[in-house]
Amino acid sequence: MEYLLHIGIMLCIYIILVLSTNMTVGMANLLTLCQAAFYGIGAYIGTYFLMQFNLPFVVIALIVMLATGLTSIVISYASVKLKGDYFILGTLGFQMIIYTILYNWIDVTHGPYGIPGIPSIKLFGVWSLTSIYAYFFFSVVLAVVVALIFSRLQHSPYGRMLKAIHTDELSAQTLGRNTIQLKSWAFFISATFASLAGLIYASYVSYIDPTSFTLDESIFIITALFIGGIGSRVWGPIVGAAVVVILPELLSLIGLPNAVADNLRAVIYGIILIVLMFYRPQGLLGDAKLK
Amino acid sequence: MILELKDIQMSYTNARKEVFNLLNGVNMAVEEGKVTALIGGNGAGKTTLFNIISGVEKGFHGKVFLEGKDITKLPAHRIAQMGLGRLFQGRQLMDDLTLMENMKIASGNTMGENPFDCFFRFKKVAASETAKEQQAIDILIKVFGDGNKYLDLLNHKASELSYGEQRLIAMARLLMGNSHLLLLDEPTSGVNPKYIEVFQQIIRDMVEKEEQTVLLIEHNMSFVRNVADYCHYLDDGIIIKSGETHEVLDDNEVRKDYLGL
Repeated sequence: MEYLLHIGIMLCIYIILVLSTNMTVGMANLLTLCQAAFYGIGAYIGTYFLMQFNLPFVVIALIVMLATGLTSIVISYASVKLKGDYFILGTLGFQMIIYTILYNWIDVTHGPYGIPGIPSIKLFGVWSLTSIYAYFFFSVVLAVVVALIFSRLQHSPYGRMLKAIHTDELSAQTLGRNTIQLKSWAFFISATFASLAGLIYASYVSYIDPTSFTLDESIFIITALFIGGIGSRVWGPIVGAAVVVILPELLSLIGLPNAVADNLRAVIYGIILIVLMFYRPQGLLGDAKLK
Repeated sequence: MILELKDIQMSYTNARKEVFNLLNGVNMAVEEGKVTALIGGNGAGKTTLFNIISGVEKGFHGKVFLEGKDITKLPAHRIAQMGLGRLFQGRQLMDDLTLMENMKIASGNTMGENPFDCFFRFKKVAASETAKEQQAIDILIKVFGDGNKYLDLLNHKASELSYGEQRLIAMARLLMGNSHLLLLDEPTSGVNPKYIEVFQQIIRDMVEKEEQTVLLIEHNMSFVRNVADYCHYLDDGIIIKSGETHEVLDDNEVRKDYLGL
């Protein structure tokens, strides 16, 4: 049972991550390769506050989201103005910088040794989520709330403008819209929710090191999004997250050794992606395509 | 004058470092409340000039004034907010959006387009959405008449409309904003002849009833003759002839060099 709950918690964390990625990739047409960097920033800042202060979850979450959001503003100032492939390369650069900092700034991050013994979340400053059951229900509630927030955003006038920018940015500009600002907001929101996922991850596994926040992780999140589907429906990212979280567990269940299952998992994701790009480029449940 | 261009020059350098002059000191003025046509051969620099006026193109020398204000260095969205609307050549409505969404994104009312509005100001957002919907319906009725078919297609994707119909709606939606000057880049290009008269009527109505000013690029000379009050002939990056439409179109040089008559 605990094994299933663990899968459920990881699924909820990935749902938040993939939903946040859909905001930039699916809605604002910004193919970002630095989602794991924001996930990592959230995990490390969250860890610091969890270990140093006895604060309620909401306070820590707000601090983590705001701090990561501010970082994203600095990045978006430089990168959102870039077009297409140059934007992708800009976010790749940011991902590499953050990973290098996490790996080498040993005094602060403990580098490759990681940080063990991260305390659990305290919901109201007193009630600590010590059992896996509590974590499961907490992460389900959080994933549902985040999904509702993104659904509301995507069906708001703001979501409509992102859809317009996705289709034809130049026309949106000549209709009087500051598309750089609108895309920067999308980048900000995406970063803040990725950092929230990082906070939950850090407190749940109680140990973090930089290998959880690599470029591979960013690509993994993008893969989940493209499998599930990009655009204005929240179900696409949810299904995408479910596929990438549950598939490796199914491979383990059929008795494959871990080393083989890991490699096979990557091959299967690759095949799914290639097939989808040919036959359903918007993903399983998506309603938009990359421009 | 609602629009003035002063000594607009633009050149580009190709991969072999050869410099080509695209615009060689264009001076042009557009009178308020009139339809002005900009004609000239392919590659004369007409669309480049539109890009400069609307802030899409920035690598040029010279000055652009909109209603007396210097807009030379302003970004495209700021110029649009100041009252300039544009219909692009070849671009029409946004395929993935419904007809109503296409109308709403052109609205001068941007309430709700801040991501936090839908959580913290949702009553105001709902009211402004209703107002935008009513404005869109009013404009469609004003432009295409009572009971026109577009009123039944408001929730359909724009891609379900023909190219010509999309051009018509794209032009009508310019009335959703706060535009005083409309730049129309080849409005009848690729459009079924049955719509050309409709375009003509819409443009005249925009000027006479909606108090708009129109500057248009067009290759259809009978359309220009019917709709435009003034005309500028651009050739080789410079205005060769300006004046009332019939004067320009009947000018011997224009007839010989551009119309081949």
